[in-house]
Amino acid sequence: MTQTWRFLSVAIVSAAWAALFSAQPAAAQDWFKTGTGLGVSKVRLAVPDTVAKSTFGPPLPKVFHDVLWADLEYSGVVDMVSPSFYPLSDPGQPGDLKAQDWSAAPANAYMVAYGSLSLDNSGMAFAGYLSQVNNPSAPIALQKIYRGQPTEQDARQLAHRFADDIIAVLSGGQPGIAQTQIAFVSGRTGNKEIWVMDYDGANQHQITHLNSISLTPRWSPDATRIAFTCYVPFRGVTSAQICIYSTASNRLIAFPRFRGTNSSPAWSPDGQQLAFMSSINGDPAIYEARADGTHLHRVTFGAGVATSPVWNPKTGKQIVFVSDRAGDPALYLSDADGSNAQKIDLPDMGYVIDPSWSPNGQLLAFSWRRPSGNYDIYVMDIVSHQLVELTKDEARNERPSWAPDGRHLVFESTRTGTRQIWTMLADGSEPRQLTFQGQSESPSWSQR
Amino acid sequence: MATTAANLPGQSLKPFVLGSIGIHLAILVYLVGAGWWAYTHQGENWGGPGGSITVGVVGSVPAIPLPRPEVVSPNRVVDESKGLFKSEPKAPPKPPPDAVPIPKFEKNKPPKIISRPSKVLENPTPPPENAVPYGGGGTPSIPVTSFAMGAGNTQAGLGFTGVGGGDFGSRFSWYVQAVQRRISSNWLQSTVDPSVAYAPRVVVTFTILRDGTVTNVQITQRSNNYSVDSSAVRAVNASSPLDRLPAGYSGSSVNVEFYFDFHR
Repeated sequence: MTQTWRFLSVAIVSAAWAALFSAQPAAAQDWFKTGTGLGVSKVRLAVPDTVAKSTFGPPLPKVFHDVLWADLEYSGVVDMVSPSFYPLSDPGQPGDLKAQDWSAAPANAYMVAYGSLSLDNSGMAFAGYLSQVNNPSAPIALQKIYRGQPTEQDARQLAHRFADDIIAVLSGGQPGIAQTQIAFVSGRTGNKEIWVMDYDGANQHQITHLNSISLTPRWSPDATRIAFTCYVPFRGVTSAQICIYSTASNRLIAFPRFRGTNSSPAWSPDGQQLAFMSSINGDPAIYEARADGTHLHRVTFGAGVATSPVWNPKTGKQIVFVSDRAGDPALYLSDADGSNAQKIDLPDMGYVIDPSWSPNGQLLAFSWRRPSGNYDIYVMDIVSHQLVELTKDEARNERPSWAPDGRHLVFESTRTGTRQIWTMLADGSEPRQLTFQGQSESPSWSQR
Repeated sequence: MATTAANLPGQSLKPFVLGSIGIHLAILVYLVGAGWWAYTHQGENWGGPGGSITVGVVGSVPAIPLPRPEVVSPNRVVDESKGLFKSEPKAPPKPPPDAVPIPKFEKNKPPKIISRPSKVLENPTPPPENAVPYGGGGTPSIPVTSFAMGAGNTQAGLGFTGVGGGDFGSRFSWYVQAVQRRISSNWLQSTVDPSVAYAPRVVVTFTILRDGTVTNVQITQRSNNYSVDSSAVRAVNASSPLDRLPAGYSGSSVNVEFYFDFHR
């Protein structure tokens, strides 16, 4: 898409402007007119240091500013102006902001996000502002006060909230991901348990204490529950079952036990149904049930194994799953009730596993081991079957999961020697390692 | 006794009559017999001595390019019957036009060159001290306003207008850019028919309400290609809800004209 925008010249645009003059309706309403192909560029945003209006013991303003900077830089929407171009004084409120210093060279900023952190009786407060500096008479785009406790945890949280509001303003209403979380499996305690962390890798904490094996966590669409595969003994028999953990009440929710092996759950976009792989009737196939485990019914009927289902998050009417009925594991697309199953053909042979559907319903990310022997993350357009290879390492890159803005992916990679959780932008750029201890795998990004 | 006249005594005709009848009979028998004999032995002696050659009727002989017999087929283009078309009656001849030949230029006088010095161009007054130099004035405050995209320079980029005294574009250019970014990123060009390489501009108008809801989506200028038009409308609908209208804006809604230029 970006190539077409780059090649449209200003001549077309000014012709459109001239045509617009003659074609305007005489409405009393406010209008604006814009369009595609106008060279959409990222917003040049300057984020000066946060002004401290009180004295802080721990360096909370610096923590706040660092987190805010990292959130905005990783959003994919904003072009951060380098701090070496900033004017020397940091504005704390709109009266301090000298717009011409920021909009002139070398800063050339379009907007400035700034504010001040202060302590008062009820805790810590951050007053944040987002101003447009190339038009000084324009009103402030965003001004808001955020409150919390004077702890580092809350300072990060306030910075995440401010970053989300800025991204919502600059991307036209799409919420940012700064307050989302990633669930993953970590074996650092000796057992594989489910852990949760902030999207930037901070605040990693363990949430299950089952002292057995827990795998394949998946967030529910409202981010209140995590469904995962658990191995819990029952009457002397240990088998793989589906367990659901509620983050609202911090305990496991009941889900029925079924015969055989039951694993890799997936939530429907309305949160009412779960699809999972079960070998109740012998062959591992995809089954669907309500979120409370009732109304279980089989969905796939082919030979071989069918596993790793994922729902279309936009419509909820289709699923993609992995099946080896044709020999090697491949992706199949079918309706949510299992009818019209068709293989997704790829231009090469190999194992295709771990599908993940993007939130706008258009793209499918998966891990593909081609005959060259390397597992890499690919993104495919569902409609046109165009493929983009995102990782080109010699390491194994598996289990991609989309962020709710459709611009980021989290996946597991062995490129550092151990299996760890990484995030990257959806075009494969800016990979960032999030976990550093033990072995971590199977991430799932919450949608809220 | 009347005696027959012709009977002469001493001469009898009886032997002669009998002899005549006998010769007639013999000729008759011969004729019948010969005909019966010829009937049973017909065609035996045809073809001359040594037998006959069978002759068959020739329909077509291979390897001999015979001309095809002419078959007259009814000609649908030209036939003798009268058609439905009636030729128009001949138009009456037009009267000759009133034409006057162009007069030749003869002895045209060249125009006088005014050689007086120009008051404006040759005696420029110096600009007053508080004049704004050209190109540095910033956004003019005129009723029909324009705003420019591009950081730090109000002359760069494109302009668009707000009508009816509205200056939404100049005051909230970041909002306009955000709308453009959102809708452009939701425009899925892969859903357009693969055989389309270029489509004329599609213009979609819609209204943004105070809380950011997109309503009243209409196509005001079509590209005459259904898949391009519907992909544009889908892009706008997929972008709802947009960010809520800026706090500094006092109206209740904003109308937007958004155009899509599809180019593969």
